[in-house]
Amino acid sequence: MTEYKIEAIKTFDYKRPVIDKGYTNQTLLVDISNPDISIHPVTEKMKEVFIGGKGFDLWLLWNAVKGTTKWSDPDNAICIASGPMGGTPVYPGSGKSIVTTISPLTGSVIDSNVGGYFGPYLKFSGFDALQIRGKTQTEIVIFIDGIDEKIQIFETSGLPDDSYALSSILTEHFAQGKPRHISVVSTGPGAKNTLMGCLNFTWYDLKRKRARYKQAGRGGIGSVFADKCIKAVVARWDRVSVNTNNPSDGIALKEVGKKHSKEIVGLDPKQNEMAKIGTTHLVTIMNDFDLLPTNNFQYGQHPEAENVGQEVYRRIFDVGYDGCWMGCTVACSHGVKDFVPLTGPYRGEKVFVDGPEYETIAGCGSNLGIFDPHTVIEMNFYCDAYGLDTISVGTSIAFAMECFAMDLINETHTGGINLSFGNRAAALEIVHQMARGEGFGQIVGRGVREMKSIFSREYKADLNIMQDIGMEAKGLEFSEYMTKESLAQQGGYGLALKGPQHDEAWLIFLDMVHNFMPSFEQKAEALHWFPMFRTWFSLCGLCKLPWNDIVPEDNKDTQEPAKVMKHVEWYTQYYTAVTGRHTTPDGLIRMSEAVYNFQRIFNLKMGFGTREHDNIPYRAVGPVKPVEYESRRERYDKELVEKHHVDITDMSTEDKIRMLRKFRETLYEQLKDAVYKRRGWTTDGIPTIDTVTRLGIDFPEVLELLNAKFGDDQG
Amino acid sequence: MRSLVMIKVNGKRQFWYEGMTLKDLLEDIEDSHHYAVIRINDKHVSRPYFEKTMIPDNSEVFLISLIAGG
Repeated sequence: MTEYKIEAIKTFDYKRPVIDKGYTNQTLLVDISNPDISIHPVTEKMKEVFIGGKGFDLWLLWNAVKGTTKWSDPDNAICIASGPMGGTPVYPGSGKSIVTTISPLTGSVIDSNVGGYFGPYLKFSGFDALQIRGKTQTEIVIFIDGIDEKIQIFETSGLPDDSYALSSILTEHFAQGKPRHISVVSTGPGAKNTLMGCLNFTWYDLKRKRARYKQAGRGGIGSVFADKCIKAVVARWDRVSVNTNNPSDGIALKEVGKKHSKEIVGLDPKQNEMAKIGTTHLVTIMNDFDLLPTNNFQYGQHPEAENVGQEVYRRIFDVGYDGCWMGCTVACSHGVKDFVPLTGPYRGEKVFVDGPEYETIAGCGSNLGIFDPHTVIEMNFYCDAYGLDTISVGTSIAFAMECFAMDLINETHTGGINLSFGNRAAALEIVHQMARGEGFGQIVGRGVREMKSIFSREYKADLNIMQDIGMEAKGLEFSEYMTKESLAQQGGYGLALKGPQHDEAWLIFLDMVHNFMPSFEQKAEALHWFPMFRTWFSLCGLCKLPWNDIVPEDNKDTQEPAKVMKHVEWYTQYYTAVTGRHTTPDGLIRMSEAVYNFQRIFNLKMGFGTREHDNIPYRAVGPVKPVEYESRRERYDKELVEKHHVDITDMSTEDKIRMLRKFRETLYEQLKDAVYKRRGWTTDGIPTIDTVTRLGIDFPEVLELLNAKFGDDQG
Repeated sequence: MRSLVMIKVNGKRQFWYEGMTLKDLLEDIEDSHHYAVIRINDKHVSRPYFEKTMIPDNSEVFLISLIAGG
């Protein structure tokens, strides 16, 4: 039994407002330095321009930080919001929270969209968004109690460090016998000792009687949380119904929600069975198409991939309902019951593991040359418990492993660890070291960008080759898809606002497999529409999976199957039913465009956000090493001969690599031009004055920034 | 040789014969859609393997029109 102390140092009573059409019309600011708690109004202009969710977060963060603010400064804020539709139980995928902060990995804005009950509970407690500012030296817990209408800050001691035990204890502590009323946001020791900490958001699983976890993984938000000395943020709320959001038209909402739910229940079993196997089906599919990142993205295939594929996890996952929000029929979370880790503090104990999903399997499995499902589960478990992002952990260890394989680093640097691809014990040991802030794990925990610099500066490793094989852009580690053969997806990663995460655009199949967008203009159009539509989910508190991971049976016969327009139409009805504002499919895009461009300008404010920051490592564009070229020689030779009319008769593999690189890098730059033009940006990747004026984001500070950048040139 | 044995394709009954591959099936039903993946019972089969993947008797086949990912 853990002995801990928890003592209230600040209590703030408030009157919960009546929710109006999905909005509480106020935000909560908790300044932990002083400490101080205050409530602030949401203006009509804020709703009109920023909609909610990520939009509100960005606006609050923009006003909190200066261009010089660093991630660890007290000024940096962590903002968490739901969205107008967040917390609707009748519509699948409606329980998301969106989190933003200034990232320790990128130095600029990061955003993460996460499941669990927190966002809806925060809103139902009376707040469209929460902003936490300041910094403290004593561990604190922030408690938002929507039932008893009070906010409290507690000083704590003796609580466990790891997120797994901590969330469980805090759920019980605050539940008053009703654990489903509680959602906990927390992180772990890995977040404190690295730059890639994640936040765990809980939802209470009534059947299994335990707090379950979803992660706001990307960009080190958990590290900011830990650096502020926040142990946890807890929300408490009771019953949820379709009327809790007080929608404008409850009947229309129920109708469209039931339609989408029913379709998922009918079609998911015929399509990807996400309710049974989550996203694990992608492992073997990616492998079949030579797209599964293997050994630090060198290769896209491995003969043992099936060992970490859906057939194996189907047998391992605990059967039961796994929706991370109430009533979601996609219910894709999944978990492993009674798992017994072989290493670390939980060695030999039975634990419940939430996951793994595709990204974790690829990141902590195939990309490390590991094809043992149990090691992947153990990596998954410890990353969650330690508060680490499995994607950045996987991609960072993969980079270190390749450096080890290339003798750029050796055992004198790794503290005697044999960091060969496939070494399961070594991968796990690095994760444990990350959590302890010790040894080589501490260096890996700085992320790929800093590792390149450390290896070069201190170990005299070749910086040029590391720039080519280090899979980061903007400072963020790549998520787990191979982009070498898809120019559009290179843009999907490289032009993404926060760094290479696939949540803006996932165009690999459309582009590479189906060749549906052969021209630059078509690629640019896709790199406009998809990021905008996907952004919209984060404005509203939604998950994107119901949109296009289960599709209508007649979808393939529609004009643009990839857009799944039947569902887009349903989303317009959903938005209108909740907010009372009529909209259209183009209206949804327009909502996102304003927020998207604002975020681009936010990057500019933080010293980034121009063309040079959209560069990606060559490993993402083509083969760096002869072994990679040879693994796809037929494809690359054909491209040189047929597309670029090169006579390759007497060329060595190295010469062919150089030639191919020249062509492919040029294509990527041409893609940037086409996308910038489509988005209404300058050739340097900056939104023009006309664009920001058209989108209604021509705030004085925005214009000041742009004018300073453009000078006399109108942009 | 054709027989009266059936399989189910997207819930509809379809004639099956010994040695029938996924590629044969798509030709038989005259479905020219660019499927990336087809499911036979619980198993996903990707397009590179349509030609050599034989459909077992009494299978349920699901034609998956879109792999969305991410």
